[in-house]
Amino acid sequence: MSAPAVIGADQVMAVAQDVFVAMVDGEETTLGPWYGDVPAPAEPLAAWVDVHGPWSGRAVLVTELATARDLARAMLRLDDDAPVDAEDLVDAFGEIANVVGGNLKSLLPDGGTLGLPQVADAPPAAGVAASPEAELRLSWRGRPLVVAVHARPDTSSAPTGPTTHPDNPHLEGDTPR
Amino acid sequence: MSLAPDTFAFVADLVRRRSAIRLEAGKEYLVESRLLPLARERGCAGVDAFVREVRATNREADLVRVVEALATHETSWFRDQTPFEALRTQVLPDVLHRRGPAARVRVWSAACSSGQEPYSVAMVAAETLPPGAGVEILATDLSARILEHARAGTYSQLEVNRGLPAPMIVRHMVRAGAQWQVAPALRSVVTFKQHNLLDPAPPGPFDLVLLRNVLIYFDLPTKQAILRRVRQVMAPGGVLVLGAAETTIGVDDAWQRVPAGRGSVYTLAVPPGAAPPAGAPPAAVRRPPASPFARPAVTPSMPRAAGAYVPSRGASL
Amino acid sequence: MRALVIDDSRTMRRIVASTLRPLGFEPYEAEHGAAALALLESGLEIDLACVDWNMPVMDGLTFVSTVRERPEWRSMTLMMVTTESEQSQIVRALAAGAHEYLIKPFTADAVRDKLALLGLLPLDGAA
Repeated sequence: MSAPAVIGADQVMAVAQDVFVAMVDGEETTLGPWYGDVPAPAEPLAAWVDVHGPWSGRAVLVTELATARDLARAMLRLDDDAPVDAEDLVDAFGEIANVVGGNLKSLLPDGGTLGLPQVADAPPAAGVAASPEAELRLSWRGRPLVVAVHARPDTSSAPTGPTTHPDNPHLEGDTPR
Repeated sequence: MSLAPDTFAFVADLVRRRSAIRLEAGKEYLVESRLLPLARERGCAGVDAFVREVRATNREADLVRVVEALATHETSWFRDQTPFEALRTQVLPDVLHRRGPAARVRVWSAACSSGQEPYSVAMVAAETLPPGAGVEILATDLSARILEHARAGTYSQLEVNRGLPAPMIVRHMVRAGAQWQVAPALRSVVTFKQHNLLDPAPPGPFDLVLLRNVLIYFDLPTKQAILRRVRQVMAPGGVLVLGAAETTIGVDDAWQRVPAGRGSVYTLAVPPGAAPPAGAPPAAVRRPPASPFARPAVTPSMPRAAGAYVPSRGASL
Repeated sequence: MRALVIDDSRTMRRIVASTLRPLGFEPYEAEHGAAALALLESGLEIDLACVDWNMPVMDGLTFVSTVRERPEWRSMTLMMVTTESEQSQIVRALAAGAHEYLIKPFTADAVRDKLALLGLLPLDGAA
């Protein structure tokens, strides 16, 4: 419910900054805000994790495939032109989503459980509200990277009218807490 | 972009002599990026020009700034462990022994930077002192900006990860959005004040003074002056802790080194103005130092899991 | 010393392993708790396990509890390395028997600090 108030763009920025300093670039990270519109990626890659609990939703990262490949190289400390196989690409980008998502989850007042990261050219539209609760446009090495937080409609405070039932097989019971 | 070899050699040598930090070949980028802001501030075209000027004028203040810029600001909690182990097993018990169970233990954390050191002291005190006893910690630094950060007691996830034992995170930190904050009870025992080590020391007496990894920045006469001022504010039996790579030996002979944990701390051979304890052997006789602290090396036979900080399995939280 | 890095992300396993190697550890890897238990059952003796929380097949908390029930593995040091960052989760992990808790993201220095706390590093002072 209170996710929109709790997970603001500032918080997402703080989390993203920590993640890039620690896992990608070190102290001299080039991660910063992206100014203006983000061009639609020619070859998008998305990584996301779902949160289940009193507030349910999803944290999604979207960038160009080529950018994700460079992210994987940076995380694995590979040379700029080193080959990156599909498995490393997916795994590395998924892990960034996992770490971002886990840290965002800790901002929720009532916690929740974290799903495993998933990676595809786009996240499934079903299951979460189309418009994000919070969206942060970032620039990494001058290239766009968007982090968005979407609520599940049935836990969002925004009335969305009759919704098709988003059958989520991973939906878990109340978190024992 | 590329640094002149003699610029790098000069800076590496200066930093090694002053701080024992070694800048290996290949760290040119670090010198470049850390000194560029200083060069800009000075109106120099680049780091080479700035360093040329520093060498030509050879002013102590410039040299200190260069060393400071290169010395990585270590801001770990419980950094080096030894001082905190000494506090827990020696300093606090010793003060309670001498001044009773309601003693107020006074600590000065000099050059406290962003506050991890004084808060680490506060955590150990909170977990060691009996009810009724208390601790007052004065934490000082030269930088008003860093004191602002320290006073807020708010730390990022990355900062909390640096050496703060998990049980202490649970007991002494609270979540503050994406950050963590030191619990109010601990913040209330630490007072932050701006202070320059080149000025007279703040009013003592202190049972413990932490002056770690700061003497390394200064030349010998300045080190001697600082240690002399610290002497004036030590409580009888008070303990001085320096950085692991620092010593008073050869700098100020009023101090004596006492083994503590895996390192050492320093006490004054004869506390200022204090008469030798009754029944003390004549001064001519070589006797153990006045402080009961200076028993033979205390070797806390610590289990592998680092003593108090690591709970045995399922310890109550 | 030997360390077992348990994480379903091979990127993270490589990052943790490459942090441990220069600290004097010989790292082994497992992609979830069950695979890690299988390695231990097969006789792998380790000094340290770095354990992710959220993993398929067997999560890290279950792994920690399982290891703690086995007296022959008592000397093993268990450190959670996870993105789970609520205080309540740290409490749960410690109660299950974890010795330390490192939150992702972390720097190599943070790993070293934690291992020093655990007495798994020679104290290096300011070097």
